[in-house]
Amino acid sequence: MRVIVADDAVLFREGMVRILTEVAFEVVGQARDGAGLVELVRRDPPDVVITDLRMPPGFGDEGIEAAAEIRSFAPQVGLMLLSQYVEVHHALRLMEEFDGAVGYLLKDRVSDLGAFAVDVRRVATGEVVIDPELVSGLVARHRRRDPLAELTDREREVLALMAQGLTNAALSQELVLSPKTIEGHVRSVFTKLGLEQSERDHRRVLAVLQFLRRQ
Amino acid sequence: MSAATEAYQQAPSAAREAGGALVALLVATLIGYGWYLGFHLENVHNGLIGGSFTAVGLYIVRMRPRHREGWLFVATGVLHGVMFFGRQYGLHEPALPAAAWLGWVGVWPLPLAIALAGWTLMAFPDGRLPSLRWRVAVVAMMAVAAVLAVVSALWPVEYDRIGLATPHPLQLPGAEAAERFWGFARFSYLLFQVLWTVAVVGRMRRARGDEVRQLRWLVYAVVMAIVLLVAGLLVFGSPVPGALAVPLIPVAAGIAILKFRLYDIDPVINKTLVVGAMLLLITTGYVVIVVGVGALVPADERVLTLVTTAVVAVAFEPLRRRAQLLADRLVYGRRTTPYEALSQLSAHLEDAPQELLDGIAATVANAVGATEVVVWVGGAERLVPQAWWPAPVDEEEGPASLAGLGGSRRHVRPVVHRGSVRGAITLRKPADESLTASEDRLLADLVAQAGLVMVQQHQAREMQAAARRIVTAEDAARRRIERDLHDGAQQRLVTLGLELGVLAEQAKASGDMVMAARVGQTRSQLLEATAELRELARGLHPMVLAQSGLEPALGTLVDRSAIPVRLHVAVARRLPGEVEATAYYLVSEALTNSARHSGASVVVVNVVSVDGELRVEVADDGRGGARPGEGSGLQGLADRLAALGAELRVDSPSGGGTRISAVVPCG
Repeated sequence: MRVIVADDAVLFREGMVRILTEVAFEVVGQARDGAGLVELVRRDPPDVVITDLRMPPGFGDEGIEAAAEIRSFAPQVGLMLLSQYVEVHHALRLMEEFDGAVGYLLKDRVSDLGAFAVDVRRVATGEVVIDPELVSGLVARHRRRDPLAELTDREREVLALMAQGLTNAALSQELVLSPKTIEGHVRSVFTKLGLEQSERDHRRVLAVLQFLRRQ
Repeated sequence: MSAATEAYQQAPSAAREAGGALVALLVATLIGYGWYLGFHLENVHNGLIGGSFTAVGLYIVRMRPRHREGWLFVATGVLHGVMFFGRQYGLHEPALPAAAWLGWVGVWPLPLAIALAGWTLMAFPDGRLPSLRWRVAVVAMMAVAAVLAVVSALWPVEYDRIGLATPHPLQLPGAEAAERFWGFARFSYLLFQVLWTVAVVGRMRRARGDEVRQLRWLVYAVVMAIVLLVAGLLVFGSPVPGALAVPLIPVAAGIAILKFRLYDIDPVINKTLVVGAMLLLITTGYVVIVVGVGALVPADERVLTLVTTAVVAVAFEPLRRRAQLLADRLVYGRRTTPYEALSQLSAHLEDAPQELLDGIAATVANAVGATEVVVWVGGAERLVPQAWWPAPVDEEEGPASLAGLGGSRRHVRPVVHRGSVRGAITLRKPADESLTASEDRLLADLVAQAGLVMVQQHQAREMQAAARRIVTAEDAARRRIERDLHDGAQQRLVTLGLELGVLAEQAKASGDMVMAARVGQTRSQLLEATAELRELARGLHPMVLAQSGLEPALGTLVDRSAIPVRLHVAVARRLPGEVEATAYYLVSEALTNSARHSGASVVVVNVVSVDGELRVEVADDGRGGARPGEGSGLQGLADRLAALGAELRVDSPSGGGTRISAVVPCG
């Protein structure tokens, strides 16, 4: 699987290139800012791009801007954004503006090589990946609030994973439950929360995130 | 005015000097010889009028040869002098030679003398009649007086009243018809009096500036003369005090004409009113107690006198104050007294800066009767208008240098503190009205006070600006540290974590499970450390605030809040960095406190920018009882807000929820 990596911190970028290579990714390019990344992708689109969210020149959300540009001319490229912080508004923007094949993780996640490799591959195949910390914060706040209180523990577990971008298949694997049972839980969650069931995974994530954020 | 000034500067010619001396000599002789001939109470006033009007008139004419009023004075004086002499001569017993004709001269000019005196008063202070109507009135008056004089000259219509020693020199027929005519005609005297009174009062009402002050001198003298006449008649049963007061009128009028710029009569009138009122009150009190109480209660007169003295002593000061207030009202009208002006100014000292300057403008305007007052703030090179009285109708004036402020009848008073210009007060008076000496002194006092205010405001502004700079610098420092952490320590720790991850994988691959587990533990600890550092860095200064503004930044606070938050943000534009940061920290601190202490189920955050200010309010439904300054971090917020000219309000009744709010000015 071909990857391009973008980060202005050289040590981190090179460390990442090394581990990606170890877990059988082919790193075909490295950039130190958004413009450089866009240029590399334009020349030779990879399967997935792993980019820092905050880069020169403004140290703002250059990573998302670059991702949006890449999505406009190379929609097949998966986009994985890494950041020191995960923010809900960034996650929502990624869900709203990108039609799947997008990920948003804390940089810390990279140190768990296996899990990170799985997440990158999921993004490359069109799935959505949201950092669990972001979701757990939102869910924790809702714990004492209706209508989340009506959910069973299992349903709440399903909801949290769903918000991270897990598909029904992934849920079934994660929770060691049959796809039929998972489907039942998911339907129940949507009914109890008054959300509309969506065919597309990223739409589902967006709906759940928005629900969790809404007061 | 310019003609008079010009005339004033001309040296009197020898001929005019000689003429004046001749007239003076003539009148002095007539009056001196008249006195020598005897004392006749009913003729005293003519002598006094003749002497005083001639003397004052000649003096005015000598100082200002072209001043018409001077000539009118001389005419009035000479005529009265002639009449005085004629009557003195005619009244002498036994009859002197040619007493019939000389006495006759003392009688018939009377209508002319009265009319001339009226004209003189009507033409005061410049000798000109203000309008065509008044000129017609004066001509008519003089014509009527001429007719009366002719009748009086031909028939002895006035002789009964005056009682000369010798009869009328002409024995013409028709004396009875003349008497009948005179029965009606003598009411003209009354008409003349009414006419000039109306004229003076009317002129007084219309007059502006210096003329008002001149007329006040005249009116004061006339009223004093009348008061003395009435008082003399009532108290002593004699017209002598009134007659003796007559010269007051020309003297006061002369002062008004020649010296009006030096002396303001207002304080004199003021004091006269107070003294008069107090005399009246004391007399009345004495009479009431001694006579009234004495009649009701049989008591020793000495006791009553003592009681009266005590009552007067006790009541004197309060009554005097009342009388003074009343006199101030009457004399100064709407204009405030210096004391009132200064106390008005002190009352404004508590106001906000802008209101304070407005207050200074209004106080100055009231104190000196200005039509326009502008308060300027700044240095000598660049003064900016800051307050106006009244509010500017058309476009406001731009900045100007001190030198450029004057012109177009504007009085300029620079405000100087320790040798450097801090501002200025400029004012305009009604057309042709100048600043009197007392107004000038009061203005100087007010300017000195305003100077202190301006200096104090300047210092307050400097301190505010310094505090704001400190806040801005602190924000910049926080941002820099956050960035350093993000790009430095955090980045390195994350890279370390990555390396440890690689090590763990390698240990696992090589079958060293103990090593793999230990590396895995180390990695977990490292991740905890980075998580802590992450929270610390994020609390310092969120990147999203600088990047995307207040609403997304507050959104991140809400997203991480442990309590549900209802956030409402209505901020249309980006605000100054320190204002946004302050609002962010306020909400952040309030949310943290709510989550930690309040037990609230929901927090409502409202952030709205309206009319150049940002209103921030965080309210929870918790148990309340929060106290700023108890290590809650609210004190730091309060200081930060104060630096931005805002105030932190904490409303946290026990059991009634906590409401933290601030209104931050943001231009």
